[in-house]
Amino acid sequence: MTTRTLVSIVDDDESVRESLPDLVRRLGFAAKAFPSAEAFLASDLVDQTSCLLLDIAMPGMSGPDLQRDLANRQQLMPIIFITASGDPAIRSRLLAKGAAECLFKPLSAKVVLDALNAALGMR
Amino acid sequence: MTKNSGPESETGQTLGEPLQIATPFAGHERHAADPDQRVVLRTSQLRDAQVEKDDAERGHTRGLLETEQGSRIIIDNIPGLVALLSPLGEVEVLNHRMLEYFGKTLAEMKRWDESDIIHPADRPHVIEVFAQAIGSGTPLEYEARLKRFDGVHRWFQVRGFPARASAGRVARWCFLLTDIDDLKRAEALLAREKRLLEMVASGCALPTVLEALCSLVEETAANCHCGVYLIDQKNQVFQTSAAPTLPATFNNPIVGRPASPETGPCGMAARLKTQVITADVDTDPLWQASAFRPLALTHGLRSCWSTPIFSQAGEVLGTLAIYQRQAATPTQPQQGLIAQVTHLASIAIERTQAETALRRSEAFLAQAQRLTLTGSLWWNVSTGEITWSDESYRVMGYPKTATPTVALILERVHPEDLSLVQGTIAQSAREGTNIDFEHRLLMPDGSIKWVHVVVQNVTVEMGPAEFVGAVTDITERKRAEAELRRAYDHLTEAQRLSQTGSFTSDLERDEHFWSDEFYRICEFEPGSPISIQRLGEIVHPEDAALYQGAIGRAMAGTDPDFYFRIVTSTGVVKHLRGFAHRIADRAVFVGAVQDVTASKMAQEALNKAGAELAHVSRVTTLSTLTASIAHEINQPLSGMITNAGTCLLALDDIPPDVDGAREIARRMIRDGNRASDVIARLRALFSKKEFTLEPLDLNEATREVIALSANDLQRHRAILQSELADDLPIVAGDRIQLQQVILNLLRNAADAMVDVHDRPRELLIRTGHDEGDRLRFTIRDVGVGLPLQRSSSVFDAFFTTKSGGMGIGLFVSRSIIERHQGRLWAESNDTGPGATFSFSIPRYVQDRPDSSAATTAGGDAHVAIDPKGS
Repeated sequence: MTTRTLVSIVDDDESVRESLPDLVRRLGFAAKAFPSAEAFLASDLVDQTSCLLLDIAMPGMSGPDLQRDLANRQQLMPIIFITASGDPAIRSRLLAKGAAECLFKPLSAKVVLDALNAALGMR
Repeated sequence: MTKNSGPESETGQTLGEPLQIATPFAGHERHAADPDQRVVLRTSQLRDAQVEKDDAERGHTRGLLETEQGSRIIIDNIPGLVALLSPLGEVEVLNHRMLEYFGKTLAEMKRWDESDIIHPADRPHVIEVFAQAIGSGTPLEYEARLKRFDGVHRWFQVRGFPARASAGRVARWCFLLTDIDDLKRAEALLAREKRLLEMVASGCALPTVLEALCSLVEETAANCHCGVYLIDQKNQVFQTSAAPTLPATFNNPIVGRPASPETGPCGMAARLKTQVITADVDTDPLWQASAFRPLALTHGLRSCWSTPIFSQAGEVLGTLAIYQRQAATPTQPQQGLIAQVTHLASIAIERTQAETALRRSEAFLAQAQRLTLTGSLWWNVSTGEITWSDESYRVMGYPKTATPTVALILERVHPEDLSLVQGTIAQSAREGTNIDFEHRLLMPDGSIKWVHVVVQNVTVEMGPAEFVGAVTDITERKRAEAELRRAYDHLTEAQRLSQTGSFTSDLERDEHFWSDEFYRICEFEPGSPISIQRLGEIVHPEDAALYQGAIGRAMAGTDPDFYFRIVTSTGVVKHLRGFAHRIADRAVFVGAVQDVTASKMAQEALNKAGAELAHVSRVTTLSTLTASIAHEINQPLSGMITNAGTCLLALDDIPPDVDGAREIARRMIRDGNRASDVIARLRALFSKKEFTLEPLDLNEATREVIALSANDLQRHRAILQSELADDLPIVAGDRIQLQQVILNLLRNAADAMVDVHDRPRELLIRTGHDEGDRLRFTIRDVGVGLPLQRSSSVFDAFFTTKSGGMGIGLFVSRSIIERHQGRLWAESNDTGPGATFSFSIPRYVQDRPDSSAATTAGGDAHVAIDPKGS
């Protein structure tokens, strides 16, 4: 069987960690959720991650902090930011900084699929 | 006729012609009431005797002239001493009595002028007078002392007159000798008694009088010593002695000894109220063992005759004692003398004592008048004569030399009172009415006195109109009254201003005295009768128990503090607070009550404002959490949407993943509940609630707040650590308001660290025990810390360092904590930067009184808390 593409989900929001992985799996990916950036970095799945669904605001290391860190490590997986804030300026800023996409909660299945395809399709 | 002067009769008074006293001195007169009467009686007795004697004499003389023999018989039978002499004065015939009396023969008697018959002191005068009479043929009369057969000299009056023959030639000389010794003695005694009584009447000192009395006895009775000993009536002891011829060594021992037999004859006489005759101290068995015997004997005294001196009422004033150097018992005449003298002594003593008592009472009266500023007065209306006591002069301001008159009095009367005084005096003079009034005097120096004048009509029937009265200087009293009235007015005014009424209540008798203000507060008619029930009728129905409780506590013996509302007759609700204090062993109380409605209203308004402010603060705080709150709600909502999408995918599977969809649906329910929990919590926090105290778990409340703020803290990058004590007791508090405080402190702590970049933004929350049954909540940050100057200013209203802040957060927090009987404070951290905010509140105790409870009318249902003391 083919190894599914791994999508890692980093969000301190419990609801997200409960709902998103299931959705992502049904969309045909493998999914793993982490409560914090630190937890993700400490795991051994960084190299295997093909795409990152990343929360922006987190206690400790934030989403953008992780982005920078991964860049420093030459880990260039596409990053899709997710945020509860509705500010469009954030999206443009993040895209300018190299984010693959920035999605606003609530997340619908279609939006997530499109973003994942776009991010992975770019590879 | 010449008359020798008798012994010491310097007064020169005559009792009529010198006479022979027919009977021995009888002494009946001693029982007369006063000395003058005695004198009169005696004189009349003597006069009667004289009349008899005159007649006898005339008869005798005629007989003498008739015959020699006959005359001889007559002469011998004359009950008197008769002598017939030749014209040349030679003794020819003497009657028997004469010879018997002198105890001499006729031959011896012929040579009378050479013998010792005549007292040597009198002889020269007698011889001279005799020679002159014989030579001139004129009758003679002289007094001289003649020696009786037994050697005793007695005074005689000698009268000689010539019997003439028809040619005028002296045929014979007839001599009549009359024993006037008793008379002389009586004269002497009388004179001395009179002098003594004069001494008493003129107020001579008693010791002097008594010593004169003793001298009188000694000179009258001869060869004796006399002493008078006075007895202190109260203690029945001898107090003084007067015994001029006895030495102090004999007199002093008796002073202070009791008036009883153990002291000696005088003591016995006093006790037994009878004369005690000790003829011979040496041998009298009565005194063998007594100290009196040696005392008397060493002073050479052998006999002692003690006679009690009686007062008019029959009490023994003292004793009179006569001592002699030989054993003797008193003769009849001596007893007579004793009786006479003791009576004199009685008069003297009583009179002197009365004088002393009178003078003492006069002195007391004068002193009393001086002390009370009261003078007495006497007014004879018809003559206008007025008499004032010394103090009256002083009060009226006149010298003692002034003569008091109505005009003089009116001169002193204050012009404004003049018509009143004049009218009163005039009416009294006219109708005899008593006077009792007060008026002012205007003194010469311009000062004003108040006097109280009382005058009573004491006119006796058909006597002149007389009034007796008193005038008292009451200026001081008037001044004190005025001050008291002023003080009372001040008090009433103060009570009115402070809306405080005072009362005195006797709960047992249900008798009450209320100040005016109390009546006013209750809207009762001032002065109307008050009872426990009457006040109870206007007590607010809801507070009836409070009123009864206060009464009950008072009756049971405690001093009650009380609070209750009343509803006056005009429908006004007033809050009364007061206290009472027991002042007797019965249920009598003094107390004060204050209308605190205004302050209660103000307090309630304040509470309401406080609640409003707290609400505003809460809302403000919460509104700053909007982003957090939105985030908090959004999370579960977005979860739901994602899950819903996932659910559709599951159902679109071929075949449909129904189990999967079911699981996703459950996840969605969980998300929905999370969202609604947040809403519910927020609703509670946004609600406006009155202050409610209930038992609550501080740790749980803290955790809820932490949960609410979690997102916010994350965004602030604050790392929260909590150390919540395990065994924390339950606290008494208002959940919402305490959570408001914790939230406020948490947000402040996070905000304080906004500009901290060089260190982790650590927050520490701690709960734990505090001393005195209290709990403590602490939150510590590493932020900018407190202002250096006056760090407590952070709690001031409108203090804020945030540009968008209202600055009421800490102000409201502090008032909330204080409402909880707690304390909120801030300290700079001593190890490192930042500040620590803490509050401590008491733990929950059943039935805890809380005087800061908001007792609002019509408020939400809440736990009612009684004012302290119930």
